[in-house]
Formats: sequence, structure tokens, C-alpha cells
Amino acid sequence: MKGLVFGKYIPIDSIIHKLDPRGKLIGLILMIIAVFIPKSWWAFLVIGLLVLLALILAKVGIKMIVQSFKPMIFMMLFLLVINSLTVKTGDVLFTIASVQVYSDAVFNTLFVIVRLMLMISITTLLTATTKPLDLTLGIEWLLKPLELFKFPTHEVAMMVSIALRFIPTIIEETMRIMDAQKSRGVDFENGSISSKIVSILSLIVPLFSVAFERAYELADAMEARGYVPGAKRTRYHILKFKYYDYIFIFICLATMVFSILTRIYL
Amino acid sequence: MSISFKSLSHIYNKDMPYAHKALDNINLDIKEGSITAIIGETGSGKSTLVEHLNALLLPDEGSLEILDYNIVANQKQKFLKPLRKDVGLVFQFSEYQLFEETVIKDVIFGPLNFGFSQQEAINKSIEALKLVEIDEKYFNVSPLELSGGQKRRVAIAGILACDPKIIVLDEPTAGLDPAGSKQIIDLFVSLNKTLNKTIIIVSHDNEMVYNYCDDTVVLSHGKVVYHGSTLDLFSDQKLIEEFHLLLPQIVQFKNELTENGFKISKEARTIEDIVGEVIKQVKK
Amino acid sequence: MSLIELKDVYFSYNDDTKAIDGISFNIEQGSYTTIIGHNGSGKSTLAKLIAGLLPIKSGEILIDGLSVNEENISKIREKLGIVFQNPDNQFIGSTVKDDIAFGLENRLVKSEEMEKIILEYIDKVGLNKFMDYEPQNLSGGQKQRVAIAGILAMRPEIIIFDEATSMLDPKGKKEIKQLMADLAKDDTITIISITHDIEEVLQSDNCVVLNNGKLFMHAKPEEVFSHPEKLRDIDLDIPFIEKVKEEFKHRKIKLKSSDLKGLVKELCQYHSNH
Repeated sequence: MKGLVFGKYIPIDSIIHKLDPRGKLIGLILMIIAVFIPKSWWAFLVIGLLVLLALILAKVGIKMIVQSFKPMIFMMLFLLVINSLTVKTGDVLFTIASVQVYSDAVFNTLFVIVRLMLMISITTLLTATTKPLDLTLGIEWLLKPLELFKFPTHEVAMMVSIALRFIPTIIEETMRIMDAQKSRGVDFENGSISSKIVSILSLIVPLFSVAFERAYELADAMEARGYVPGAKRTRYHILKFKYYDYIFIFICLATMVFSILTRIYL
Repeated sequence: MSISFKSLSHIYNKDMPYAHKALDNINLDIKEGSITAIIGETGSGKSTLVEHLNALLLPDEGSLEILDYNIVANQKQKFLKPLRKDVGLVFQFSEYQLFEETVIKDVIFGPLNFGFSQQEAINKSIEALKLVEIDEKYFNVSPLELSGGQKRRVAIAGILACDPKIIVLDEPTAGLDPAGSKQIIDLFVSLNKTLNKTIIIVSHDNEMVYNYCDDTVVLSHGKVVYHGSTLDLFSDQKLIEEFHLLLPQIVQFKNELTENGFKISKEARTIEDIVGEVIKQVKK
Repeated sequence: MSLIELKDVYFSYNDDTKAIDGISFNIEQGSYTTIIGHNGSGKSTLAKLIAGLLPIKSGEILIDGLSVNEENISKIREKLGIVFQNPDNQFIGSTVKDDIAFGLENRLVKSEEMEKIILEYIDKVGLNKFMDYEPQNLSGGQKQRVAIAGILAMRPEIIIFDEATSMLDPKGKKEIKQLMADLAKDDTITIISITHDIEEVLQSDNCVVLNNGKLFMHAKPEEVFSHPEKLRDIDLDIPFIEKVKEEFKHRKIKLKSSDLKGLVKELCQYHSNH
């Protein structure tokens, strides 16, 4: 779990880090549409270059993005195999073990892979350059219209930000309890189903009891500091769009329009 | 020698740009039958070191000889279970590992995992619970109903019931009240004295280290910077300053006395010892 | 009138055992009171009752003349802050600054004003270098300092420390105890500290000793420790210096000093007199 890259915030300073989280969320939505619409390699080339530019500007390192593809490799291979077996249009490119692989199979797979890679890059870019709390603020803002329907956006945002705050703590705790049970002879990898169930119980039961204890204490601490659910609160962070946020959203919007146009005209 | 680190290094996030050498060429022999403290600032590598004793972490370089096992870097280890049975590791806030419905069920969990028969496991567990002074009336109670100190002692019993030859404790008294702490310290001292178990304690509590540990290992930035007698360490002003050690009050008292012309022997460890020596000099 | 008055307070978690069994005492404004007692003596319960986190069964607690109950709770919360035991479970914000902001947001402080207040109290607890740190990158002692800053920023009259140092390493303990001693110098702040740390009692003005939910003693620390055998009877420790004095007393030498330096001087004098 320590090598987990996807969704991890990288605390450095860059122009991409400075962008308003609301703008970045809007950008994310626009870019995902831009990635899914086109059927032309030209569109992918343009989007790919833009993503690359953003990556360089964000200073998070290409290596990190490459790592985030790792968990996908198996899926990509699987896709290639399935497509090779089922897609039988285009020219025969080569034959493996009496299976004829057609050009469309390869191109279709490449298409899907490129799409997925672009999507992962874009989302990783968002999470790597936006603090979880800012992300929550952004989501809260996007959900604002739902307040008309009595949706408690504020409470939901508070819940999400507390959950995010405690994820590292809980991961650490999970590791510690696993280690403690391992030294009592628990084998989390091998063993029969019944012994696996006991192993998992030996992890889950303590985790829950600690989590409940935390929750009670946290509730006391919040109450003692004057938090009343649903009551009016002011905000420390006030988000403000700057000129570069507008430029950013415009670029994303233009990219989406471009990719729609390629779908229509190319 | 029952425990011997040989040029052992451990690297977190190996092959990553943020790789971090948590243990750096450790050479260390811990005496059989001793009570040895491992001290050092947070992040000095104490926990990493201790987790090697139980093969929860494996060396990246070098090796560790412990009892009859030899753990060598980059080799597949086949004896994890017997090793973990023979080296009992009591984690910090160990009460969080309790999960069974009753105290006795939780204590027999370890022995059963290590292949003890049901009867043997129960016998060992009852013995261990007696050692940690948990009354029989609690055996069939849920661990959740016990006090903090009792839970901690049940967790320790869960390790003792596996009959380990070496017992490693990570901050065993953290968060307990003075009475609860005293009970746990007395327990491991008696395990050492009566059953001759080798005890290794990771601790920040220099008062306890000074009072009860024969030897002390000081770690700093993943290296062993001192290993020797506890009394020698705390009577050496230069070492104390070099390692930024917090002085136990008893040592402060000794120093204050010697500065004012009293002669106090290095071996004087307790208030009684020191007062005895002072009285002799005062009443001469 | 005392700032805090407890009048015959009772509380029980379930019907059979009384966690707090008829306790009455007063705490003066600007004082520093430590509350000690073995595990299960009712210390933490008492703190929660004073803070209104638990409802009392009978009797009354008055803070500044206001009865602690459902009706007055929001007024009382404005006067009082609590630092809890577990540093992790009271860190609500995602960074040091955000955590201090949490209480201010609840108090409807405007964003423009918050920054100044936050920086002031970060400075007061000495965390300037760490203000953008996330909790997992702070030590226990640092997290407790954040909690203290968060509470000070709300300008309470009373701060309750509920075993706030018990999960810290000796360095963290020392830092937090020093910070508490510094706060105690401020006459507008009343400190109540529930503690296991017998050495901390020495730096307080008054000490309340609880035993099985009852008030065992309420006196100045010197007086509390002048009966070491009484404290031992109820499973309490005594400070190092008192242990030394006790040992000398057994050997027929009576010493009076309340610190090590003075004590050794006394011994030197004794030495030259004999």
C-alpha cells in the first residue's frame, strides 16, 4: 500500500497546484468528455500533448504517472486477447497459435488503452495537485445547486473531509494490527477458507473497535469546540477564481469543442 | 549468542526516488538472558529493528542470527512460524489486537495458530493469565469489559502463552497509569529472573530503562551509536550530551550529590541505595 | 463567588455503580488545579461533567454562576475548552492551520480575521515552522500543541486538560507541561488538569484527589504530599523528591526542600553540623 500512487497528493508548488479546485473539477469533466468523444488519432494527439504540458507544469514527474498505469497492464493485455479473438475485421496482421489477429483488433485495443491512459493521467493529475480538503470544497461548490432540494451539502462535505483526514491514520493502524496478528501466528496469505475467515476477523474486529473509539472521541472534541451539525458556520478557505483559472477552463472547453468537431468532421 | 545482527541494513521504498535507509549496517549482539533496552529518538529505527526480530521485516542487506534461525537478505524464509513462536513481540498499545469474544479464547488464539493442541493451548494460556495476574473470574468475560491495564495484560498473556524464548516489548507501559505500569514492569523483570527469558524493550522512558535494564542500545539515524551497560551510559556526561538523553531523576540526584562533594558509587540504582551511601558519609 | 462550583454532584453510567459519588468543591478564577486518582476513580468523568459532555444525575455544577445543563450549554462552551488525551482523535482539520480554524469557523469568525488569529496562536505554541503540516507528519507533542492553539484561539476562560500528556513521549510531555505552566501565569485563564503525572501536580496551585468517585483530598500540593502513606493507600504514586525525603525520614533525617538542589544543600549543611 505504501507504493500506491493513484489519488495521492504531492505537496509541491506549481501553477497547476495553484489553480482553483472548482476550476480543476470543471476541467476534469470537460477533459473526460473530450477523451471519450473522438474517434480520430488527431484529437488524442492534441489531448495527449496538453496533458503532457500540464504534467510538466505540475512538476509531479512523468514517472509517477507511468507508475499509476501499472495496475492496468493486466487489464490491457486481457483486452488485447479478447479483442484478438473476437474482432475479425480489417487486414490480417499476423497469426499466433493459429489465431489470426486482425488490424482492427489491435487498433480498437490501442484506442481503448489510450483513452484509459489519458483518463488516468488526468485524474491522477487532479488528485496529485489538489489537496483533498480543497477537492472537498470544490465538490461542495459543484453540489450547491442540490441544496434547493434540501441536500445537506455542508454536512456531506464535512464528513468527506474528515474521512480523508483519517485515511492515512487508518491505513497505518491496519498495518500495525496486521503485524501484531502475524506475530501471533496469523498467516494472511495462505491457509484454508475457515482459517482465512478467522484471520480476517482478527483484523476487522480490532479495526472496528478502534474506529468506534475514535469516532466517539472525535465527536466529543468537535462538540467541545462548538460544532453543531447543521448550524451556520463561516469558512476559513474562501475560493476565488483568478484570471488563470478562466484561461484554464477556456483551454479545457476549447479542447472538448475540438474533439467534438473531430468526431463530426474527420 | 542468541541474537546477532550482522551488517544488516533495511531500506524502505527500495528502488524509489524517496528510498530511505531505516537501518544502516547494524552489527549488534544481544546477550542471552539479559534485559536490554533499545532507545533513540522517534524515527531512529527502533521499530524497524524490532520488527526484524520477528521477521515481520526482512533484511535488505546482511543477516540476522536469532536462536537457531538465520535470516539472510534476499533469501526465501521458510521458518517464519516457528521463529514467530519463539520470539514473542508485544506491540505498542497491544490491547488493540484483542478480538475474540472471551479473554481465554483470545489468549489461546496464538498457541493454536502455532500448532499447540487444544489442551496444551488452554494449559499454557491459564498459566500465562496467572503470570499477568488476571483473575480466573475474567477468563470468560469479553476483553472489551476490562480496564485499560487489564486489556494490556491480557494481550501480553496472549504472547506469553506461546511460550517464547525471547520477549520483545515496544513501549509496554505507554498510556498506563503508574500502578498499571509498575505491574507490567514487575512482570517482565520476574520473567527474566525466574524463567531466564531474554527481554528486549523499546522505550522512551529512561527512568524505567535506568532502573531495570542491564544493557542499553542507542540508535540514531539507523545506526547503533552505543551498546553497553546502562549504568555506564548514564554516568557518562559526554555520551548523554551527544545523544540528547533525558536524564532520569535518580541520575540528576546522583549528579547533584557528586557535584556537592558526596561520593556515590556507579552501581547505586535506587533511592534506597543512594540514601544509604549518603547517610554513611553524613554520619561519619 | 468562585468561577467553578460543584455542589454535591452525582453521576453513574449505569444504575449500580456511582462513578461520581457526591462531590463538592470550588475552583477559583485564574488558578491551576490538578485532579489525580487511580484509573476508575472518576477523574475523566468529572472533567466531562464540568464540560457538559455528560449530564449530571443530581447536584449542580455552576460556571460563572451558570448552571451546566442543556439550556446553558452553548454559553458554557464559549467559556471553556478541552484538550483530550489522544492527539490523533482531536485533530479535525487537514493541516495545522485548518485545525485551528475549525473552532473559529464554528464561532462565525470572518475569514479575513481568522488568518491573523491563527498565526498569533501558532506563534504562541511555537509551531511557526509547521503551520502547513498534515497531522501524520507531526509528533504527538506537536499535535497536542495544535489542540491547545485551537482552544486558545477561541479565548476560553477555562481550559480542561484531560490526561493531555499521558500518550506522549517524555520530550512531548515536558513540552506540554511547560506550556501549561506558562499558560497558568495568565490570570484570565483557569486551568484544570486531569493527570497521572505526579510531577505535574507540583507545578499546580491546588490538587484534587479522587478515590472511588469521592473527594479524598483538596489542598495545596505540598499538603497533599505531606501524607505519602495516605496516597499509597489509594494506589497513587508520590513525586521523586518526596520519595527521597521519605527515605531520609526513615533514617531519621528530616529535610524540607521542595527541589533537588535545595535538598542537597540541606544535606551539605547537615554534614558540616555533625
